Amino acid sequence: MSEETIDAEFLGKEGANVTGFSRMEAAYGSGDGDEDATAAVASSSNAEVGTIFEQIYRPWNGTLNTRWVRNWSILRHHIYGMFSRGHRPWGWPVRISLLVLLLGSMNDLFLSFLGNATGVEELSRLFSPSRENLYAHVLGFFPRNVFCFPIAAALLVGGMISEDRKNGTSAIYFSRPVNRTDYTVMKFISVAILLSILIVGTLALYYIGDLVLSGEGWAYVLDTFPLFFAAAVAGFFLVFTYSSIGLALSSVSRGKFFPAIALLGIILGTKFIAFLISQLYNDSIVYLLSPYDCIAHLGQEMMGINSTYDHPYTWSLVAIIVMNSISLYVLTARVSSMEVTRE
Amino acid sequence: MSRDNVVETINLVKSYGKHIALDSINLKIKPGATGLLGPNGAGKSTLFKTILGLISTTSGDGIVLNHNIREEGAIIRSKIGYMPEYDCLNPDLEAIHQVAYSGELLGMNPSIAMQRAHEVLEYVGLKDQRYRTLDTFSTGMKQSAKLACGLIHDPELLIADEPTNGLDAAHRDFMLNTLNQIVNHGGRSLIMASHLMNDVERVCERIVMLHKGKLIAQGKIEDLKAIEREVEVHAWGGASKLEERLNDGGLKVRRTGRVLRVVHVDDSTYDQIISAAAKSGCQIRRMQDHEASLEDLFIRIMETLGYGVKSSEQLLENNPNLKHVDAPLELKNRGPLQ
Repeated sequence: MSEETIDAEFLGKEGANVTGFSRMEAAYGSGDGDEDATAAVASSSNAEVGTIFEQIYRPWNGTLNTRWVRNWSILRHHIYGMFSRGHRPWGWPVRISLLVLLLGSMNDLFLSFLGNATGVEELSRLFSPSRENLYAHVLGFFPRNVFCFPIAAALLVGGMISEDRKNGTSAIYFSRPVNRTDYTVMKFISVAILLSILIVGTLALYYIGDLVLSGEGWAYVLDTFPLFFAAAVAGFFLVFTYSSIGLALSSVSRGKFFPAIALLGIILGTKFIAFLISQLYNDSIVYLLSPYDCIAHLGQEMMGINSTYDHPYTWSLVAIIVMNSISLYVLTARVSSMEVTRE
Repeated sequence: MSRDNVVETINLVKSYGKHIALDSINLKIKPGATGLLGPNGAGKSTLFKTILGLISTTSGDGIVLNHNIREEGAIIRSKIGYMPEYDCLNPDLEAIHQVAYSGELLGMNPSIAMQRAHEVLEYVGLKDQRYRTLDTFSTGMKQSAKLACGLIHDPELLIADEPTNGLDAAHRDFMLNTLNQIVNHGGRSLIMASHLMNDVERVCERIVMLHKGKLIAQGKIEDLKAIEREVEVHAWGGASKLEERLNDGGLKVRRTGRVLRVVHVDDSTYDQIISAAAKSGCQIRRMQDHEASLEDLFIRIMETLGYGVKSSEQLLENNPNLKHVDAPLELKNRGPLQ
C-alpha cells in the first residue's frame, strides 16, 4: 500500500498504522478430552412464509419550521394530552381528579345559578360576585385552597419534569434544536395554562355566568369589573407561584409522588405551622413563610378587603418574590443538569 | 478546515475544572460509517455533546456538517439524528406518537411528522407494532423505536450510541443491517459508538479511537491494520518439533500450546507447513487462514499504549484495573500518554 493512499493516523502520526502480530488465542486446552467431542448443531427453521418485508430507505426533503413552531409543539403536547390521545399521556386518575376539582371550584356558580333560578333573593345576594365572593373564589382558604388548587397543582406538576429525568426523555428534547430555556418556559406555561383554567377560568365563568343569569346592566359591570380584574390578577399570582414551586420540586425529583406531596406539604404545611405559631404568639409574621398567605395578603390589599395579617403587605410581596426567585433558580439549575448522553 | 469532512475538529479541548475530558482532539470524520471506540471515561460522551453543540468547548474549534459547533448548535442538531444509548422513550406513549413528537420537536409540521413517523417505523420493522405503547416493547423494539426517532427528519448524520446494546442475535443482526442500509443505500453518514468490535467492523469502514480524552487512532480500519496475514495450525503430538522445523525453514512462528500461527509468505507456506509436519511426525488437525480483526487491532493498540488486556470486552465494558505492562521502548520515549 503506498504512503499516499493510507488513510490512517496512529498516535498523532499521519500515515502510520498499527503493525505487528495479532494476538494469539489458544483454541484448545491440552489434554482436556475435546478431541472426541462432537458438536450438536441446531438446524435453522426456514420460516419464509409470512409477511414480505422490504426495507427501503426513504429520504425526506421537507423543511423544518422555526423555533416558535418547536415551542408550540411542546405546549401542544402537554395541553392537548389532557383532552386527547397521541399527546402527553396524563393518566385517567389525574384527568378525573382534575374534572372533579374543576366542578368543585365552580360551586359558587352553581349556587348563584340556584339563587337566580329559584328567585330567592337572599340566596342570590349571598352568592353573587361581591368583593368578598370574588376574593373567596381565588384566595379563600376553605374549600378551594385546601381541597382544590393545591391538589390540582400537585397533580399537574408531579411528573412534568421528573418523568423526563426518569424516562430519559430529556434526551429527545435536547438532542433536537430545543434549548433549555424554551423547554423550561414551555413546561411552565403548560402547567400555568392548565392551572389558570381551574383558578382564573372558573373565576371568569363565575363572574360572567352570574352577569348573564341575573341580567345585570353596564353600571353593575363597571362597578364590579375592577374587583373581578383584581381577583384575576391575584389568581395569576397564585398560578405562577404554585407552578414555579411545583416545577422546582419536579425538577429535583425522578418520580411523580415526591414533587406532588412536597408541594402540598409546602403549601398546607407552612400554612398550618404559621397558624399554630400565630395562635401561640399572636403575631402574623410567620405567615411570610406560607406562599398561600403571602398571596392572600396581596389579594386582600388589591381588592380592598380588611387584612387579616398584622405585618405590612409589602413584606408579603417581598416574600413571594423571594420564594419564586428561589424556585426558578432551582428549576433552571436542575434543568441545566439534565443530560443527553445519559441520565 | 475541509468541507469534505462530516465532522472536523482542531485542537479541541474540553475540561471540567482540572479534569480534561477532551485533550487537543484533531478529528477528521469523513462521510460514511465511522466507529467510535474507547473505554469508559475516554471522552466519547463529551465528544458527542460537543458535536451536538450542547456544551461549550474550552478551546479549539470544530465544524459539523459545515456548521460551527460554538455558534450553530441548534442548526447542527436539526441536521443530526441522535440515537441515545439509554432509554429516552415515554413508556406510556404509543410508538407512532413518540416518533411523531420527536419530529415535531425538530420543527416538522404535525401532519407531516405523523406521515413520516409511519414511514420510519415501517423502515425499522415496527409497522405492526406502531400503535402499541412503548412499555410493552422489548429491548430490541425500543432500540428500533429510538432509531426511528433519530431518522424521522432524514438526517445527514446519524449518531448511534451503542445501537446493539442488550439485543439478541436476531435483533442485533437487523439493527446492523439497517444501519448498513442507511449508510450504503440512504447515503447518510453514521457515527456509531459501540463496545462490540464485531458490530463496528460490520458496519463501519473507519474508526476513531479515544483513550483518556486523547485521540489515539483514526482512519480506515483496513489501512490501520497492517498486521501480517497468518496461517493458524492446530497440531497434535509434537507441536514443539513442528515449530522448530518451521523456524528452521525460515518461517516466522508463534505458538501457544497446540496452536501455532505461521506468517503467510505465499501459497507455498501451506506446503511448507504440511511438509514440516510430516517430517516432525506431528498431526495437523486443522489449518486455516487467520485474518486480523478489529479486535486484534484494538488489542494491539492497547498493548502499544502499555496495557495488558485480553479482549476489548475486558477494557471497554468492565473498565477494570488494568495491568500496566511495559510499553515498547520507542513508545516510552514519546513521553507519558495521559
